[in-house]
Amino acid sequence: MTALAFTALTAGYGGKTVIRELDGEAQGGEFIALLGPNGCGKSTLLKSLAGILASSGHITSNETNVRSISAVKRARHISYLAQQRDMVWPISVRDVIALGRAPYRGPLGKISAEGQAKIEAVIHRLGLSEFAERSILELSGGEAARALLARALVVDAPLLLADEPFASLDPAAQIQMTEILKAEAESGKTVIAAMHDLALAQHYADQIWLMKDGIFIAKGSPDAVLTDENLVQAFGIHPPKGGFSLPRIAKA
Amino acid sequence: MKLFLLIAAALTIALASLFIGSANIAPLTAIKALFGHGEEAHILILQQLRLPRTLLGLAIGAGLGASGAALQGYSRNPLADPGVLGFSACAALGAVAALYFGLRAYVPIFALIGAGLGAGVLVALVGQRKRASVLILAGVGLGALATAVTGLIMNFAPNPWALSEIVYWMMGSLREAGPAALLYCLPLTTLGLLALFITAPDLRTLALGEDTAQSLGVSLPRLQILLVIGVALCVGSGVAVAGAIGFVGLFIPHILRALIGADPARLVPYSALAGAGFLVLADMATRAISSNGATLYLGILTSLIGVPFFLWLATRKMSS
Repeated sequence: MTALAFTALTAGYGGKTVIRELDGEAQGGEFIALLGPNGCGKSTLLKSLAGILASSGHITSNETNVRSISAVKRARHISYLAQQRDMVWPISVRDVIALGRAPYRGPLGKISAEGQAKIEAVIHRLGLSEFAERSILELSGGEAARALLARALVVDAPLLLADEPFASLDPAAQIQMTEILKAEAESGKTVIAAMHDLALAQHYADQIWLMKDGIFIAKGSPDAVLTDENLVQAFGIHPPKGGFSLPRIAKA
Repeated sequence: MKLFLLIAAALTIALASLFIGSANIAPLTAIKALFGHGEEAHILILQQLRLPRTLLGLAIGAGLGASGAALQGYSRNPLADPGVLGFSACAALGAVAALYFGLRAYVPIFALIGAGLGAGVLVALVGQRKRASVLILAGVGLGALATAVTGLIMNFAPNPWALSEIVYWMMGSLREAGPAALLYCLPLTTLGLLALFITAPDLRTLALGEDTAQSLGVSLPRLQILLVIGVALCVGSGVAVAGAIGFVGLFIPHILRALIGADPARLVPYSALAGAGFLVLADMATRAISSNGATLYLGILTSLIGVPFFLWLATRKMSS
């Protein structure tokens, strides 16, 4: 079964069309990097797929029409990590992560033992144990981003849509976050992440979807997409000689 | 534990308020009178004056506290209060219109109609645009318009008595809260509180922002409707009984945030409890201060406490 398929997906804001007639397909276990210049429609595509933004066209996930299921069912199926990370209330990291279990809450708001176990597991896995009781407002940008990623992972949905999860993070944090997303994909999930770092995309993505002005100009393996011609068309840049290279994380 | 402390505090305040008043009645006599035993005058004072006043104070305070907490959670802004949706101004406009036409007895009905119309206009204005900022902006505009029309009515007040009646009414007081008011205020406030309590889990998820909350299954249009209905019922019935009582909804949730944490869902019921206790306490204070002839109005007292707090809060927020 195809984890995600969409055809003729069109969406925009206030009468202005941002993405036009997009078709795409993703399988379980795939990590897809969504690339393109600012304003090309990456966020609009992710919001449409997440059901946050009204759109036209078909979206199916595992043969199910995503529009025909309830918002709560959809929420269990598609996890969405927003680009904006503005938290206003001083809520503990553990409580923020627990919000990811909202689609599974009972009528009295209780989180099941299974849900609690998932919360503890993700806190441990993302190395958040020492911050778990701290207010999210007290964390550094990188720590807060990791906590919010944990919030998105704890939904445990087969499909994860992440909108620039590494924006404003330092290089080491970017690599760590990408590795977490890659591991998530390797566990059988489908991960689609909008990003700007071409080297990260080249090294970690199974597929790259390259956008410009609301349409895909290329889709496929990193080597097939990150060509001189495509990069000039999308960003007006040539790829570096010798290919994209990533810094390596030093052993502590 | 904190919940029980809060309940105990609210109940203690409510009980104490039954024992305090211009007529000096000993606590034991008062309790007997409450259940219909003892002197006729005492029974009358307890059953017809003090008990309704206390119950109404609890209900109105609970409605204002819960409305404030829900609106702060919804707008993700600690400076929001029930006034921001403009319903208190709309209810006040209704009441002032009744006073203008000399329909003293119909003030509560007109106030409720004012709040209801305000809620209807707000929903029509905002429609399917589901951003919190749109609702708040429309609410502030609606409130400003209602206040301007209220000013216009006062401008053309037929005589000084009507004007003074309007002015006193706008200061807010539980003085005229009688058993009749219980009949509409309690059920309407209960319904309003229920609507606000239902929004609580969604308000908690909304802490992550509107997009993320929606991705977690929160329906923003449903949340908005429940919020508008809840606040309109609580604030409308409160203004209908007691006139304008400001700032309770602003500072009660904020104080609680320091005591029980910032979870927007928990804050709604806790603020209802604390608001109930606070308003009865403030009403007791006005009675204690007023007993030397002059009357201190409840709305004036809550604003005198609330405004400095508001300024402190706003400047602290700006500097952080």
